[in-house]
Amino acid sequence: MGISDVIPVPVAVDEELEKWTIWGRPLTDVWFTTTEKIHEIIDMGPIKNVLNWGRKNSLWFLMQPMGCCGVEMLVFGCPHYDCDRFGIFPRATPRQVDVMIISGYITRKYLPAIKDLWEEMPEPKWVMAIGECAISGGPFYDSYNIINNTDRFFPIDVYVPGCPPRPEKFIEGFRALQEKIKQRKDKRGY
Amino acid sequence: MKTANDVLSALQSAFPGAIEEAKVAPERQLWATVKPERIVEVCKYLRDNHGFDHYSGAVGVDRIDEGLFEVTELLASHGAHKVVALLKVKTPRANPRVKSLTGLYWNANWYEREIWEMLGIDFEGHPELYPLLLPDELVGSWPWRKDFKGYPDVTTGERAIETVTPDGYTHYRIPPTQAEIEAGTVPAQRPKYPTFREREEMEIKESSEMILHLGPQHAVVPGPFLLDILVDGERVRKAFLDVGYIHKGIEKIMENRTYVQGIPITDRLCYMAALTNNEAYCGAVERLLGIEPPERAQYIRVITQELSRIQSHLLGTAEFLTLIASAVYSPFLYMIIDREDVLTCIESVTGARINHSFVRFGGVRNDLPDGFKDMTLDALKMVREKTEEYKELFLSDSIYKRRMDGVGVLSPSEARRLGVSGPPLRASDTPYDMRREDPYLLYKDLDFDVITRKEGDSKARVEVRLDEIIESCYIVEQCLDQIPSGPIMADNVPKKVKPEPGEAYYRVEDHRGEMGFFVVSDGTDKPVKVKARGPVYAYFQALPPLLEGVYIADVVAIAGSMDACTSEVDR
Repeated sequence: MGISDVIPVPVAVDEELEKWTIWGRPLTDVWFTTTEKIHEIIDMGPIKNVLNWGRKNSLWFLMQPMGCCGVEMLVFGCPHYDCDRFGIFPRATPRQVDVMIISGYITRKYLPAIKDLWEEMPEPKWVMAIGECAISGGPFYDSYNIINNTDRFFPIDVYVPGCPPRPEKFIEGFRALQEKIKQRKDKRGY
Repeated sequence: MKTANDVLSALQSAFPGAIEEAKVAPERQLWATVKPERIVEVCKYLRDNHGFDHYSGAVGVDRIDEGLFEVTELLASHGAHKVVALLKVKTPRANPRVKSLTGLYWNANWYEREIWEMLGIDFEGHPELYPLLLPDELVGSWPWRKDFKGYPDVTTGERAIETVTPDGYTHYRIPPTQAEIEAGTVPAQRPKYPTFREREEMEIKESSEMILHLGPQHAVVPGPFLLDILVDGERVRKAFLDVGYIHKGIEKIMENRTYVQGIPITDRLCYMAALTNNEAYCGAVERLLGIEPPERAQYIRVITQELSRIQSHLLGTAEFLTLIASAVYSPFLYMIIDREDVLTCIESVTGARINHSFVRFGGVRNDLPDGFKDMTLDALKMVREKTEEYKELFLSDSIYKRRMDGVGVLSPSEARRLGVSGPPLRASDTPYDMRREDPYLLYKDLDFDVITRKEGDSKARVEVRLDEIIESCYIVEQCLDQIPSGPIMADNVPKKVKPEPGEAYYRVEDHRGEMGFFVVSDGTDKPVKVKARGPVYAYFQALPPLLEGVYIADVVAIAGSMDACTSEVDR
């Protein structure tokens, strides 16, 4: 399909336009195709970098304290550590967040619930495992009720070790996530 | 005041032949083995004639060598005397059956359910033997039995599978591993019981009623739990509580660790009260070992534990204020600032913010640092001023008052019947505090008041916490004045901790109430059984009856005023 099929212009214009490209794709693709293709084009080019710059500077995380690390997570959102200065805000509902922090032991009983929380989150979304329990089971690695391979169920981008890690380590973890988003190396590839 | 010997002689004369192997050790604890068929009579006699109105818990021990299960009932009294009765019942492992005490003590319900699901002991006459903490797929494998082999394969551990139902929902289920099936931990026949959802739906009687789910994810309560309320219009008709979302099996894990390795695990029992949990566990083991910490170590323990109480109450109150009005976030932020200063003081001694592992058998890990006294006195001065200010700010606020006055009232008799302890009990005009009731460490020499309130509502529970912050400041200041110099570890602590065979029960006043550790030793370097009797377990059990008949808006005001810590319920 060319532009001369739509509006009455000489065919020569059509031929000329087909030579024009935008980031390696013909410009007519942008004019005459679906939003999906437009997204593909945006993904390739520097617009994505601008989008990711915005995303990385407003990472809202889900307040979902599960264990000792959950207490440090509460403190992380408060003065003294003040995550707001990095654009990181605590939110209470999964519908409003970008980052889920797994802040403790995942048990057999809680796995379905936390999976639901993850699926309720809108795209783009990231997940961080904070604390030994979320990474490998921690002190409870040999319990009969603990899942110790969280990475099988969630595309975890950042692991923050510690039992529990100090709130400063949370900041470090978020900085690592921001860097990953900036370099487009996160697991889900935004 | 009754002593344990009085109670024992009265028991022996009232039930000749029913009491075997009785002893009084230490002075306030009465240990007796009761014939299984007469346990209900004995407990009824103790409750009616000797004032044992507080059912403090039950412990199930698997004695696999003797082919027996032992169930120890812990009875105490709310103020009539200071004796703790530990009545042991033995039942054969092949067909374990014990008579239920739910007819006598309302709060025996959850303790017996837990023993049933973990050890498989059948409680005759229990109204609802349903699983409490375990997920459905583990019920019937009796994980706390000594012959349970269902630990995951730590190298892979890949066990969950996804299934998509016809309506399009994805479910995650963890089937047993091949190793578990071979080890025989997956029962051929599971016990039959209605699931949590089925039990709820059975209660719906009229078409105007519906179930509202609160949880399992909560924004500020540290730890997930599911509170379902059956509502008719604006009123709650019945509440259901599902716990066990973070059940880690701490007590089973501690059986597989040495005594010293158990200390870090007790930290994670309730991370807000790590130091008192350490104290309760170490106190019980010290009783088994027959050692006592030197005076300076006791002072350091008291100082750190009271500082820990301050930070826990500050966070508890802050969480509560956020719960009742989530738009008002400022009090939360202000209290966290104060808490950070207290945490800095604790951290300078223990080296950690939350999980300290600081208390050791026969002492503490390290001494107070230089300049600790000045730093702590400054922090306490600030905390005291700020707490007075908070009391003035929101306890005199008319909107707050209207929201909290007369909400979730627990009358003294009802609070005792439901078995709550700590601030909720003291807010109901019952001065029941382990620091007075069963003095440990130095508390018998220290000067402090047991804070009580008459009202018993949510407002009173928060006021008790705020006043206890000020009282704890006073205790710490006293200790800092009086602290002597000297060693911080006892001389006679063995290098390898192997207590003599026996049992010990030691209770302390946790930030949230009565915390007890029951440790059973068989002479090896690993305990046979460690049981943590936590205060929040008792609150949670008391929550559903407390919520009946209130408005939906008051549910969080009541549940929040209890200062929950799910980790300690689930363990």
